[in-house]
Amino acid sequence: MTPYRPSILVADNDEASRNGLTVFFSEKGWNCNVVSDAQQFDRELNTEAEYDLVIADPDLPGLDLTTLVRDVFRRRPSQALIVVGSSPDTNREMRLIHNRTTDVITKPVDFTLIERCIEQAVRLRDQDERERMSARFIASERTEIKCTCRELAEVQALALPILGRLVEGGLLTSYDGLKIRLAIQEAILNAMEHGNLELESRWKEELGEDGIDRFSRVRKERLADPIYADRIVRFMSFFDGDRLEITITDEGEGFLASESFVQDVGENLSCFGRGMTLMNDAVDEVRYANGGSEVTLIKVLQKSGGQ
Amino acid sequence: MEFPTEIIGEKAYIRVTSDLDTELAGEALRSAFNQMYEQGKRTIILDLSGAQIVNSYGIGKVLSCYQKLKAEQGVLMVKPLDGFVKETFELLMLDKLLPVDE
Repeated sequence: MTPYRPSILVADNDEASRNGLTVFFSEKGWNCNVVSDAQQFDRELNTEAEYDLVIADPDLPGLDLTTLVRDVFRRRPSQALIVVGSSPDTNREMRLIHNRTTDVITKPVDFTLIERCIEQAVRLRDQDERERMSARFIASERTEIKCTCRELAEVQALALPILGRLVEGGLLTSYDGLKIRLAIQEAILNAMEHGNLELESRWKEELGEDGIDRFSRVRKERLADPIYADRIVRFMSFFDGDRLEITITDEGEGFLASESFVQDVGENLSCFGRGMTLMNDAVDEVRYANGGSEVTLIKVLQKSGGQ
Repeated sequence: MEFPTEIIGEKAYIRVTSDLDTELAGEALRSAFNQMYEQGKRTIILDLSGAQIVNSYGIGKVLSCYQKLKAEQGVLMVKPLDGFVKETFELLMLDKLLPVDE
């Protein structure tokens, strides 16, 4: 079996530095692509080419550092990236590490460190690939979560592992994954706030003297009152290989979906009434039952790598 | 949670550094906005580049800021949007409402 040859992209305007890295990588038998300005770097990031490691100079002409890091991770969320600067700058280093940069080093480059980073990136890539492969074989999955409003308010958001696995397995695009995550948030918020806590949307526009709206104030009061706070939101997801169904049920009185859906969102300047638009956009069908206290989001998936 | 603010001339900038989809984030926005508003700033710009998702709760908070400024002939703007946040704003036609600060 031919050994794997890692691929590295070097973006550096310093010729000596570029040459040093290129020689090192070719002696190792690794693939190396080199760019020397921001435009070339931008073009390369937009190609389909996959790199185990990107090594970038923060002083690349035509690009500021924050934009550089943001661009890399927006287009390649799991990319290993090393920034190699001409001089140490602790503030900059902290900012970069905070923004998910793998490492920040100063010239002259320590080749041992670069080699270690590449080995680690290749190991992680292999592991990711194994996880992606196994995700393709998900045949069905059912999850049920029950929690009180008090618990929901504390966790802020419910994690739904099936979404991540469907994206990993190529059954859902990461964009659709985000849309569904948003739709679930909307349905859970509706169940908790309007269903169980019996809050009215129009209260969001009734501001008190302290600048806090009535909705937020009553929400806080009811989350401290067991009559409301202990009511349950039930969350059930079911995936059968072709379609994902997510049902959210509350213990409230329900509502009239037709009255809550704002048709002309552009003319609506009020602080509420958009959740249902977001839900309808994210999935193929939104189904209501039990007078509105149960909502089911249905997404039909395509086996050939999402939509 | 706190969102950093910056004043440049007559403009006040609020950098939203997390998803705008929880009460915590909504409160951080409200607090940063009120701070700028109370300093007399009537042109306030939201930089949403640190957010991957803005849900209806977050949009409600943004519109609440919009209304407060509009009542005083002020203006709420956004830095150029991208990704899923841009799509969400377009879907809800908020891109027609909030001018972009280029």
